[in-house]
Amino acid sequence: MFTQADKKNSRKQKLVSGARISYNDVPYPTRLNFYMSPPSLEISIEEFEQFALDRMQVLTTLLNAQVRNMTSEQLDKNVDAAIRKYMPMHKNTSGIPQNQLMDERRKDHVSHFILRLAYSRSQELRSWFLRAECALFRYRFEKEILSDQLEFLEQQNLSWKKVSDDDKSLLKEKLLPLIKPHNNTNLDGVTYFEVDFERVTGLVGRRQVYVQGGKAYVPLADQVVLVLDEFKERLAHALEVTGKILPRMEEDDRLMPVLNNINKQYLGREFTTSAIAGEIQAQDVDNLKVHMPLCMEHLHNELRREKHTRHGGRMQYGLFLKGIGLSLEQALIFWQMAFEKLTPDQFNKQYAYNIRHSYGMEGKRTDYTPFSCRHIIQNNAPGPGDHHGCPFRHFSAPNLRATLAAHHVDDFDTEDIMSLVQGRHFQIACTRYYEVTRARMLDIATENLKGGGINGGQGNTGMVASQELIEHPNQFFEQSYLLMQSKESSASIAKSGNGDFMDGQAQSTLQPTVKGQYTYKKSGVQTSSHSNLDMEL
Amino acid sequence: MSDMDVDQTSLGTAMSNSSKAVEVGQLEAKEDELDHLFDNLDDVEITKAENPWQTKTTSLELFSAKDSGIDHLAGDSLRQFKLFYRHFFPAKPYFQWLNYSNSPIPSKNFMNREFSFFLMDETFMRYQSFKSLDELKQELTRLCPTRIDLGAVYNIRPKDKNMVRSGALTAVSKELVFDIDMTDYDEIRTCCSGGDVCTKCWEFMTVAMKIIDTALREDFGFKHLLWVYSGRRGVHCWVADMRARVMTNDQRKAIVQYLEVVKGGAHQVRKVKLPSTLHPSLSRSRKTLENHFRNLMFSSQDILTTPKQWEKVLAIIPDQAIQDEIRKEWESAPTRAPAEKWENLKTIIDQKTNVKSPLRAIHLDIMFQYTYPRLDDKVSIDIRHLLKSPFCIHPKTGRVCVPIPIETCDNFDPTSAPTVPQLVKELNEYDERHPSNGNSPKLQDWQKTSLRKDVEVFEQFVKGIMHDISDRKRDDASKSLEF
Repeated sequence: MFTQADKKNSRKQKLVSGARISYNDVPYPTRLNFYMSPPSLEISIEEFEQFALDRMQVLTTLLNAQVRNMTSEQLDKNVDAAIRKYMPMHKNTSGIPQNQLMDERRKDHVSHFILRLAYSRSQELRSWFLRAECALFRYRFEKEILSDQLEFLEQQNLSWKKVSDDDKSLLKEKLLPLIKPHNNTNLDGVTYFEVDFERVTGLVGRRQVYVQGGKAYVPLADQVVLVLDEFKERLAHALEVTGKILPRMEEDDRLMPVLNNINKQYLGREFTTSAIAGEIQAQDVDNLKVHMPLCMEHLHNELRREKHTRHGGRMQYGLFLKGIGLSLEQALIFWQMAFEKLTPDQFNKQYAYNIRHSYGMEGKRTDYTPFSCRHIIQNNAPGPGDHHGCPFRHFSAPNLRATLAAHHVDDFDTEDIMSLVQGRHFQIACTRYYEVTRARMLDIATENLKGGGINGGQGNTGMVASQELIEHPNQFFEQSYLLMQSKESSASIAKSGNGDFMDGQAQSTLQPTVKGQYTYKKSGVQTSSHSNLDMEL
Repeated sequence: MSDMDVDQTSLGTAMSNSSKAVEVGQLEAKEDELDHLFDNLDDVEITKAENPWQTKTTSLELFSAKDSGIDHLAGDSLRQFKLFYRHFFPAKPYFQWLNYSNSPIPSKNFMNREFSFFLMDETFMRYQSFKSLDELKQELTRLCPTRIDLGAVYNIRPKDKNMVRSGALTAVSKELVFDIDMTDYDEIRTCCSGGDVCTKCWEFMTVAMKIIDTALREDFGFKHLLWVYSGRRGVHCWVADMRARVMTNDQRKAIVQYLEVVKGGAHQVRKVKLPSTLHPSLSRSRKTLENHFRNLMFSSQDILTTPKQWEKVLAIIPDQAIQDEIRKEWESAPTRAPAEKWENLKTIIDQKTNVKSPLRAIHLDIMFQYTYPRLDDKVSIDIRHLLKSPFCIHPKTGRVCVPIPIETCDNFDPTSAPTVPQLVKELNEYDERHPSNGNSPKLQDWQKTSLRKDVEVFEQFVKGIMHDISDRKRDDASKSLEF
């Protein structure tokens, strides 16, 4: 793909025909594509970049929607909107002129290959792209009308071994329990494929299929899994290959900057050492507990109680602390003091290395970033004796209730949060927890000012409305910390300004001087954006 | 008492007493010279420079196991390790296993395998690799690791890791492994906790081995499984089939998820939620669990005798009314037999729920939570994860990590796994009974001890793998002939 010759050609071509895709007879009979061969056509640099960015919009929308645990209708709505806007793909039966249909599908084809180039340079990028493309393929396959699905499969010449009727009756007792609905008692209408279990890891992991002697028996209804596996396998292989030949493109000074740019653009925010509270000392951590999300606060409390934390907890909490500005030196002090049962020698031998490692000072010297909510929720669920994880995800309901009660969340809000948890909206539950508890903290702060005359109670819930879904423990901390900072500074200034905070004049004079005011203002505006969020989610 | 004995005793006391360090030094200086005469150690000087504590031990090599006083050395654990690697470590089958080849020439499987060593001074050496069995043996006796871990087979020699750009070291294959540790059972076992283990709670391991072994063989079609006592409070499983060794992390994860039933951290009371219709694999496991549940729960672990114990069981039932009902029933006659209490529980749940209720089969959930194997999933999922090698000595218990034959796993007793002093004693006794006269066939030292049966289990496992390799070769050959 995009060989040197092609590129030279393309330069020539551009002079002749301008920035137009030149049509040839690549047929796209359906909207589905395994992207087996690269497109051979001319494309301008501008289109090159635009196509890539458009596809990125679709992929990120889809992945984000999945992360946010949306219901399938909400997810469809969001993703369809993105597809319509950035990369419309119409059905064969939609009545759109043939050449327009082909144009759409060609764009899909081309943009896929551009992103392949951009995302094949490292393992991390490759696995992101693989995940995103598989999600998109699955989404499209499931939405495709049956006749087009079949046409596509036929065209790909995919063959899986069908289980004969004799074998089926032999296995009947094993296969029946896995059929839905469970009262079904015959297998007559069901076609099964016999495939190596390695190919349907998802179905095996969820115990959805019968497995015997290394073979999985996949019913026709789960065929999409097989198709997707095929897609994934081919794409993973292709990415490896592309990754290996990529260095040959290094000398290309037109495409490389574009490609390099693409994969940097949408990776989302990484919380590196943000040090929002400035350099934090080991002994400050206890005071900062109030700003921590429930997961970190829990880890902190358990650390103090047990004088120890197991590995998963040390990783989750240690990196979080790193994210809020605890330096390596202070981290060593913090953990050593926390593990008070150990002698300094024991501590140095058993734990110091790991702490230095997580600060990128040992081993492969990766500067690890704090875990995101998604990471905490999806990976490495806590085992017996562990305290890490997400309380909304990993606590049992009674335990979570008790924890919420201990944080003075009232019955009404508790029910609200519990129902979010029930619906597996863990991050939204956490966002809700943030709003409820911060509002209370503000009330207390207000009361402490002895009637300083600020807003009173009722406005606060709006004020603390989280700017967005909590997606990162450090984001929770940062928002909470800034909110209280702004509150304190505005409060103290309000106090010195004779408590006349509501006076428009006073407010306008505040703006340029108060550091936290920005956040305050922002959160004020966010009342509306929050209600948007509620609607969308 | 021979002169030798006296010498050793004085050495022993000198070692424990730092003020006599000079004396030890002198003693060793003399023996170092002898060392050169008897042993073909290449660079004793370099060895010493790298390992300050090494000087203490070189003298040990002088004492052959035939010396009558060898058991006097039992106190010094470093000596134990050294003796073990010298005399009892089954190097040959061990090499054959890791080499995955019928040929004695080291293959990539062996040369590119990561070994990791924990040393006496708590140094941890990762990414070691060896070009030959001799090199491995030499390093074992030189470094005396207190623990050997095996990692993956990589695309290059792990030792050369720093000679390639970072990230170029990729894992190619490794056995599918499982680690089952008794600490994960602490919340449900009542006889011991932490590092302790007794024959009562060992039954948890027996159940675990049976269930995992059957699933791996029947469901996934694996044939070459080696179960190994971890030396203290758990068991490891090595699945060495070709197909298992080349699995990706995702595939390993799928198997782990397939096997895993007990989920949730310390803050989740109910850790098992079975679907209303069991997967055939779980139906089969259920039968195994039922065979052990009564003995394990009502007799050895005793989970229903006192209110304190039974409250833990009741807490799993997420319905307050049913909990109260059962509690009332039990409290009415708290001394009744645990089995009877269990029947009460089942009856009350039957009465209080209808057929469609999700709580209908909660007694199954409880049984699974209390007996189903608890895996350390990270060990199995990541191909690069290290796992302690078979035939190590556990540094805390001194016991050899011996294979457990699955057919007779019911009879395995962790407290009877051999220790080095015991092996030395057996060896000495054997030699006394069979004074060498030059005619008897030369036996390996481990063959003269109770370790023999353990190594034979291991050899059987290796033999099976070798058989497969020959079969595959023959298949390939006949295929190529066809063309």
